[in-house]
Amino acid sequence: MTDLGFWSTARRECRRMASRKMYLFMMVVVPVAIFLFFTGLLSPGLPLRVPTAIVDLDHTPMSRKVTRSLNAGELVNISEHLESYTDAMASVRRGDIFGFFVIPPKFEKDVLSGKKPTLEYYTNLTYFVPGTLSFKGFKTVSVTTAAGVVSAQMSAMGLTPDMVSAMIQPVDVQEHPIGNPWLNYSIYLSPSFCFGALALMIMLSTCFCISMEIKNDTSRQWLAGAHGHITVALAGKLLPHFVVWSVMGQFMLSLLFCWQHFPCGNLPALCLAMELFIIGCMAMGVLFCSIVPNPRLSMTLSALIGILTFSFVGFSFPVQNMYGPIAIFSYLVPCRYMFLIYIFTGLNAFPVYYSRLYFVALLLFPLICSLLIRRLRNACLNPVYVP
Amino acid sequence: MYRNMNKDTDKNTRRGGVGGWFLAMARVFRREFSLVFSDLGIILFFFVLPLAYPVTYTLIYNPEIVTDLPVAVVDHSRTADSRALVQAASAAPSIQIYAQCADMAEAKELFASNKVFAIIEIPADYARKIGRGEQATVPMYFDVSLLLRYRALLSSVTDLQMKLTQEITGTRLETMGASALGIDGGLPVNSHNSFLGDPGQGFASFVMPGVFILILQQSMVLGICMIAGSSKERRRLNGGIDPRTINGVPASATIWGKTLCYMVLYLPSVLYVVKVLPEMFALPHSGAAVDYLLFLVPLMLGSAMFGQALSGLCTERESCFIVVVFTSIIFLFLSGLTWPRYAMNQFWIWLGNLVPATWGVEGFIRINSNAATLAETAHPFHMLWILAAGYFIVAWGVQSYVERYYRRNYAIAA
Repeated sequence: MTDLGFWSTARRECRRMASRKMYLFMMVVVPVAIFLFFTGLLSPGLPLRVPTAIVDLDHTPMSRKVTRSLNAGELVNISEHLESYTDAMASVRRGDIFGFFVIPPKFEKDVLSGKKPTLEYYTNLTYFVPGTLSFKGFKTVSVTTAAGVVSAQMSAMGLTPDMVSAMIQPVDVQEHPIGNPWLNYSIYLSPSFCFGALALMIMLSTCFCISMEIKNDTSRQWLAGAHGHITVALAGKLLPHFVVWSVMGQFMLSLLFCWQHFPCGNLPALCLAMELFIIGCMAMGVLFCSIVPNPRLSMTLSALIGILTFSFVGFSFPVQNMYGPIAIFSYLVPCRYMFLIYIFTGLNAFPVYYSRLYFVALLLFPLICSLLIRRLRNACLNPVYVP
Repeated sequence: MYRNMNKDTDKNTRRGGVGGWFLAMARVFRREFSLVFSDLGIILFFFVLPLAYPVTYTLIYNPEIVTDLPVAVVDHSRTADSRALVQAASAAPSIQIYAQCADMAEAKELFASNKVFAIIEIPADYARKIGRGEQATVPMYFDVSLLLRYRALLSSVTDLQMKLTQEITGTRLETMGASALGIDGGLPVNSHNSFLGDPGQGFASFVMPGVFILILQQSMVLGICMIAGSSKERRRLNGGIDPRTINGVPASATIWGKTLCYMVLYLPSVLYVVKVLPEMFALPHSGAAVDYLLFLVPLMLGSAMFGQALSGLCTERESCFIVVVFTSIIFLFLSGLTWPRYAMNQFWIWLGNLVPATWGVEGFIRINSNAATLAETAHPFHMLWILAAGYFIVAWGVQSYVERYYRRNYAIAA
């Protein structure tokens, strides 16, 4: 077999990688730090016991019972007992509490005389997660308080407990969240954000290693090592990168699904998808370098798209609800397909058959990138560094 | 270029004392403008990024709420009661009945093919239980890959349950003749809830004010790191000195000159991001302008100092992408916007405390969305000043170190 210069290019790239601390930083230190950051930060699962306040204007046994049942739940923690709506609003504005529950004056008296008093609760939605959790806690207690009164009245009328519960809640909708029944925030967020961070760093490092050849005027030497074949030159150059990123990617999967025991229906499929995802992200990096063969501009593109990926891929806001022209962008990055593969084969544990198209989509990225590499070859032969 | 530099050095060595310091700072200040405007990369970070990025972000999230989520129904009961339930469900804003399936297998197929995000399974004995006055259970299966979707569906289902309770219990009580006893269907205690800060429960309204602050800090840090990287490249090419900066002035004068320049340059961007954008996209915007503008002074000051402290890590123009870009994600989380700070452990709280944007996000959201006054955000405001002072000291150390390092390694006669 004739020597294409593949292995010598790969050896040359290994030497280049070993010669700069920057590679160690961006390919090992940063990804590991991000993986540990997400798994560590979100490890409690849910930020329970949201700091909230009670404004009890009634001060009767019944109102104190409401306060106790609020505090007994896992969702809210009554950290302040305040005497007026104004005080409570000021406390919200200071950021001490995320919501408050108001028991009106003469609450007990009005309940017992059938005047239907109103319990009011306020939640601060400028912080979505604690706001939603305290809303849920408040709503539960306001409903159970009402239900408690009704059940007392009905028991007095001679209804059996079964009949009472059928009266209070004739239709019970049982919620079954598939894949993440604990509604664990870390399971929901950590994998997708780790994919996003990995995509960002892979694109940046690929652009960095290619465009630095142009900046340092070594690109001709690089191509010459592969006898002028840009495909061989790229393959040889990116092989050591691919090996490092594979180790990082598999480490990430083992961290999430083996060490943290996140639910995963089909780990081998996810491991395979991870390899294709890494190749897809590297192809994106090569594509950026081909479009703008300049370190600053290609890395600007990587950073821009890498950071926007976290939003338009739909980790938090669903793509189906975005504006059409924006939703299209989500299908142009490999991260979207990796995310969908994780959702379908990992979290929801469906057979790989249902994500077959996403695997194919990941394979398309290297093909698309190969359309433009002639442009990169020309840029490498006549390197021009634009600061 | 070289002549210029020598002239600058001479001028500076002639004057000492406080006056000389201010003069030196003023010269750094003026030179920094020309440095910024002669570099397209910096212009991109300082002006284009704060101009275009927040708009792009807001457009992504601008639909605000999740509605019309496709749901499959498996109706084993097939009665008037079960149809009424399906009808009530389809009236909910976030539910759209995608298909009536014959069995669970068909519904699961739709679920696995990403066609529906939830399945409602009405059991065969549903109508019988309703008719007998018993409690009927209806299992519902949700996709929880996106909590926003689950949240929207859940709130619709809760409302649906309340509506059914009122209707069915009302009828049951009537047949029992309970209205004569003084019980009339509805619950004896009403409840009323209000959402503060983001009354429409919109996602952009929640996340964007915080992201705006983060964009301001990060774009400035990126630009500063690129300036520092370019300067070091010039130092390596020119025997240890950067001919385009003012050399031979105290490190503190350099830092303050640069900082003031960046703050002046950011004035239009800040006004645009915190005043124009929230009005453009109808985001929450209820704070007093004087409060949030005053609040942003230490934030921008702190960001400039923070950037100059971090710039020590950037030895090349392009290093800033690798050193700074990924921190945006970490800073977003440390700010407590998505994961509240009270639930973090001490280590992450302390790490977050060290980032100006953490306090910036917290204070700005309270002023902008909750209409807090500057006095009510005193804690983040003070913390920003402390951070600005702290990072000034770090930046000072970094600047002095860089000067000394290049002087020593490139053997310049001091």
